[in-house]
Amino acid sequence: MNAEPTPNTELTNALEDYLETIFELVKERKVARVKDIVKARNVKSASVIPALRRLADLGLIHYTKRESIDLTETGEATARRIYSRHKLLVRLFRDFLGMPAELALQDACAMEHNLSDAGVDHLVRFFEFLQSCPDGHDFIERFKGCTLVNAESPQDIATCCAKLALSQNDPNIISLRQLKPGQGGSVIRIQGTGAIRQRILDMGIMPEVHIQLERRSPAGDPLWVRVQNSQLSLRKKEADMILLRRDVPAAANTNAP
Amino acid sequence: MSQEIRVALAGNPNSGKTTIFNALTGSRQHVGNYPGVTVEKRTGTFEMSGTRVHVTDLPGTYSLSSYSPEEVVAQREIVDAIPDVMVVVVDSTTLKRSLVLLAQIMQTGDRIVLCLNMADEARTAGQKLDKPALETLLGFPVVETVGHKGQGISELKDAILKASQLERAPSRLVLGERLDTALAAITFHIAKTDIPKATHPWHAVKLLLDDPLYVDRLMEKKGPGKRAVQQAALERKKLEDLSGEDISLFVTQRYYGFVDGLLRETLLRSAHIDTRALSDRIDAFVVNKVAGIPVFLLVMYAIFWLTFTVGEYPMEWIENLFAWSGDAINGAWPAGKLDVLRSLIVDGILAGVGGVVVFLPNIILLFLGLAVLEDTGYMARAAFLTDRLMHRFGLHGRSFIPMITGFGCTIPGIMATRTMENEKDRLTTMLVLPLMSCGARLPIWMLLIPAFFPPEHRASMLFGIYAIGIVLAFLLALLLRSTLLRGEEAPFVMELPPYRVPTLRSVVGRIIDRSGAYLKKAGTIILAISMLMWLLTSYPKPPQATDVPAAQQPSALEYSIAGRIGKFIEPAIAPLGFDWKIGVATLGAFAAKEVFVSQLGVIYAMDDFDEDDDEDIGTLRDALARDYTPLVGFSLMLFLLIATPCMATVAITRRESGSWKWAFLQFFGLTAIAWVISFAFFQIGSLLL
Repeated sequence: MNAEPTPNTELTNALEDYLETIFELVKERKVARVKDIVKARNVKSASVIPALRRLADLGLIHYTKRESIDLTETGEATARRIYSRHKLLVRLFRDFLGMPAELALQDACAMEHNLSDAGVDHLVRFFEFLQSCPDGHDFIERFKGCTLVNAESPQDIATCCAKLALSQNDPNIISLRQLKPGQGGSVIRIQGTGAIRQRILDMGIMPEVHIQLERRSPAGDPLWVRVQNSQLSLRKKEADMILLRRDVPAAANTNAP
Repeated sequence: MSQEIRVALAGNPNSGKTTIFNALTGSRQHVGNYPGVTVEKRTGTFEMSGTRVHVTDLPGTYSLSSYSPEEVVAQREIVDAIPDVMVVVVDSTTLKRSLVLLAQIMQTGDRIVLCLNMADEARTAGQKLDKPALETLLGFPVVETVGHKGQGISELKDAILKASQLERAPSRLVLGERLDTALAAITFHIAKTDIPKATHPWHAVKLLLDDPLYVDRLMEKKGPGKRAVQQAALERKKLEDLSGEDISLFVTQRYYGFVDGLLRETLLRSAHIDTRALSDRIDAFVVNKVAGIPVFLLVMYAIFWLTFTVGEYPMEWIENLFAWSGDAINGAWPAGKLDVLRSLIVDGILAGVGGVVVFLPNIILLFLGLAVLEDTGYMARAAFLTDRLMHRFGLHGRSFIPMITGFGCTIPGIMATRTMENEKDRLTTMLVLPLMSCGARLPIWMLLIPAFFPPEHRASMLFGIYAIGIVLAFLLALLLRSTLLRGEEAPFVMELPPYRVPTLRSVVGRIIDRSGAYLKKAGTIILAISMLMWLLTSYPKPPQATDVPAAQQPSALEYSIAGRIGKFIEPAIAPLGFDWKIGVATLGAFAAKEVFVSQLGVIYAMDDFDEDDDEDIGTLRDALARDYTPLVGFSLMLFLLIATPCMATVAITRRESGSWKWAFLQFFGLTAIAWVISFAFFQIGSLLL
């Protein structure tokens, strides 16, 4: 090894990025050439050369003028570590949090150099959980269903959670159609679009409003419901569009002392 | 002095709008305890301190979205016609929902008077409202009324006049910062077009909701209009992202937010006594699983029983009156002088018009039954009970209203299809509606059924002919919905109002209205056709050929023009069991169904009964029973039930469907079906008997 003191033994953020690029190029085309690096990183060759020299000084790459560049054994190990961390972050932002690909890449690049190894370990374990445990997978899927989540409107996260609970088979979150005569519940969401939805809204059926099923028509359809101060009839098909949280039977509370 | 102002009435269905309209104008419009009775805008006038006030009654709507034709009609009047004063009628017992429409109308920039109707019911329920505070907050007059008792009407008139003097003030509607900011951004662009300033907020909210009606209107304005549409799309996206709700829910919630705020400030005590308790108890029995359908059938049967059995007595009196008049004229007429005129009066006018007027009691009783059903609120229950069945045949619970109305008359029935949002549902209902046996066909059944069937079977025969019409209508609807009119179905979200005791005023008013129209028809169309028929059946007189034995001479009727027309079409109708006399009468039925009866009356008066002038309806029945078998009689009933909707029906179908295509399809299709069914019935019947 080279005993000569080097002015800078530290692997800077910029150098890590170069190492990562070389790793990607080697993986892709077996060799990395200066002009490929220039192209991939969108920089001038004048700034690439000193960086390559420094990486060679650190013993991470084999670099001779006008020749193709290759990684040393230590270089490859270091590059692999940086690269997996990068990929992990890109996946976090893009695949799990649903950010646009370009923005995900940009944020991953900004973040990857500053994470501690322990932090990375924790993230890795969390991702393994999400990917391999069935619960974790469902969680991600449901989270993607709520892409409009916004910190400014907490009420909507609540609505979204109610939806999550629904897909988790919360027995108290059902559609209006599933109520039994005499039962009631408060509306969580109205699905669907267009004329039918607007009519339902116009009749005063909207989130947080209480609705009660009075009876069904002798033929089973339509339903007769009580909303606010009025009574309405609607078909099962329309009742299917109205999600609500069923009232917890009063008996359950009166049992307690 | 002779100042004129235009006023429009808007409100939710069943808010008592039409009652207010009638109370204001003193006219008698059709009112029912059933959502969606007003399907066309109606106008009337009243005068007050020298000002002539034109009032327009708009169809009831829950909101001003553009999904149903009523909503579009209402919008056109509210937004585009710009009335001088807009009266918003609200059911005081459902303030929260009703006031949302007020909030929307506040955006249209009209001068408003808020009319809190059914104030007595709300008071009984214990609701107490701070009216002065409400007026202060809204910035326009508020009047409490009890429409059907006429309470508060003069105050309402005063308020209308007062409001018409005011400057148009900017609306005090506040929909929350985010929505108001978005609307302001859109309005900025709308302001650069020539759209009237007062309606800018309304256009802005409609653009935000992406209502195609308004988007198109703005796109036509080119530059600034297009920019307004683009801005609206931008704001929509922003609000949806921010709230996580789609825009229609977001906006509707903001309207409710405004109403909530308003009521928090002005509702001193909310309703706490359940005034609907009795109504709910009745419903618990009347529409429950077990009793629901039997009660419904019983109610329907009761109406037919009322119409037929009870109606028989007054019918006899009128019969006798006409017979007596004919005798009196014949007796008093100087013998041998102006015999043609005598014949025209007795055989033409009295026989023709009399044959129709005789059925006035039945018409009155039928409309009495329908009026009571509507005013009590049972009609809405009937729609609830029958929707499943209607739906199975491709119809809609809302088809029930037009179809029941069709038992009275097809014309208002077809007009009532306007309450249906889906064009295909609407067309289907319209096309099969003539199969609902209308009031004008009642005289035909009243003539034919007793002529051919024994008394114990008459009521069930009548019920049967109505039932056949209904079943055919369903089958035909199913056929249309799966062929020509295949497609999406409309929502069935309908309000069920509490039961109310019908007011005498409303029921009697409606009966006078309908029977007046019936008499008017008897006095005009039917009078004219009777005279024409008399002419056609009387001329030309057969030559008195002396060399041919009398028995071989053609009868006077056969020789007449009518007889010749009848003979000409006879080959086409002979396979149905009909002869040329029926043929002539059937042709006349195209003008108006009840003309069939008067035509037969004229034909038989001219034919064999020349010597004794006893041409009342009783003898006409006897003559029919003598000339035709019950088999022919029923074949004829089937044909008249199904074939050739009357002239007026063809015209109204053309108008309401917007094309001759559907009117012709209805006319020829139904006639063809009638021919086939009568043919099959008569031929198979002849083989079996």
